[in-house]
Amino acid sequence: MNSNPIVKGKLVCVALNDAQQLAAMQAEFSQAPYKAAPTQPVLYFKPHNTWNTDGAVIEWPAGEAAMVVGASLAVVMGQECCRVSADEALNFVGGYTLLHDFSLPEQSYYRPDIKGKCLDGSAPVGAAVVAADQVADPAALTVVTQVNGETVSELPMSQLERSVPELISIVSRIMTLQAGDVLAVGFRGERTAVQRSDRVTSAIAGVAELNNQLAD
Amino acid sequence: MKHARVLHNGVELDITVDDANRLLLADGTELNEAEVTWLCPVKQPGTIFALGLNYADHASELAFEPPTEPLVFLKGANTLTGHKQPSYRPDDIEFQHYECELVAVIGKAGKNIAREDAMDYIAGYTVCNDFAIRDYLENYYRPNLRVKSRDSLCPIGPWLIDKDDVGDISNLKLTTRVNGELTQEGSTADMIFDVPFLVEYLSKIMTLQPGDMIATGTPKGLKDMQPGDVVVCEIEKVGALETHIVSEQHFYGDKY
Repeated sequence: MNSNPIVKGKLVCVALNDAQQLAAMQAEFSQAPYKAAPTQPVLYFKPHNTWNTDGAVIEWPAGEAAMVVGASLAVVMGQECCRVSADEALNFVGGYTLLHDFSLPEQSYYRPDIKGKCLDGSAPVGAAVVAADQVADPAALTVVTQVNGETVSELPMSQLERSVPELISIVSRIMTLQAGDVLAVGFRGERTAVQRSDRVTSAIAGVAELNNQLAD
Repeated sequence: MKHARVLHNGVELDITVDDANRLLLADGTELNEAEVTWLCPVKQPGTIFALGLNYADHASELAFEPPTEPLVFLKGANTLTGHKQPSYRPDDIEFQHYECELVAVIGKAGKNIAREDAMDYIAGYTVCNDFAIRDYLENYYRPNLRVKSRDSLCPIGPWLIDKDDVGDISNLKLTTRVNGELTQEGSTADMIFDVPFLVEYLSKIMTLQPGDMIATGTPKGLKDMQPGDVVVCEIEKVGALETHIVSEQHFYGDKY
């Protein structure tokens, strides 16, 4: 069984939270199957079989030709958080780290993507958690991802459609968050294609670094 | 055997329920039901899978074609609540409905499980009421977490009954009663994708683990719920799960 010392309860990810991606997809949103742009954060779970750690080798799913990765700032809740305002939301954060979401390429956001998103060991979180009081403003952070040493993605948290405190507030009105629940707040719109044996490294300067490698 | 979990004098207890509905501790001590709070019968809930549109009549009720592949979504463990406990109706909505579902609970870890071996991986069954709030549906990861993963909106129980005590699950009667009135009636015979199929399907994607649960979908018969309503979801041979609908303010109290 996969496990991770950081993630104790729920691991909730936010899709479609890159403002540039949202802007680029407006025309698509008006078409079927969506018919309207999302009015709420688009959330999905990475269930416990997916949890994994820094340094883990990521299994290549049998019979699949392609995989992608996205990286996100991961907010680790420090205490129970129920129906909080955005103004008070950061008081409930225990710390910050990184998450890699390895998945199959996604054809659409219409139905939950269980096949693509629930692969064993596909959600490493870590390495270390930096205490919340060491980060004055999460919006000032940038997540940089490299594959085999080459930068493939940069996502400044200022580019998120909904900020960390806004997301915590909204999610805490759907589900009570507990200490050790983790919220991955946003990925760059276009996920990065990866190959077998690729080394994937994400970093937030001065805060966290997460290293994984795809299996041969 | 029926296995349940209750809160008694502030302590969580594992109990069994006998055929006379007596609540018994391992040493044979009987508990008074009036003095317990029923909890989710699965001690360490794992991944909660739920099936959308898994009964043909329900699919047509919602104006969908029956799916050709299981429509699976995940629910958070924050949704789980015990027998005879409250579930809340959000303030700002028009339509919240129950969904009476047979839940298969995984008892053994496995990956790539063949259909013919699937039942070896099932510990037993329980009943859930997979409430949905239709007002919050959007076409992004539909049914989205706002519809299906709200606190308290998956009552489950009363107990987990051993697989062998139920036997054949391919033709069990499901009923829902609201304030005593029969509002939903169906049979697991009308399930599109049955439990062995779902175990094979899901375990091809991911490793199933003890405590994982598969809520297998609901037949037709939707009805709006209001605070004050008492809903009983019953599945033949498995159990009858009672839930009390309360307002959002009542549910959250000081945090409202």
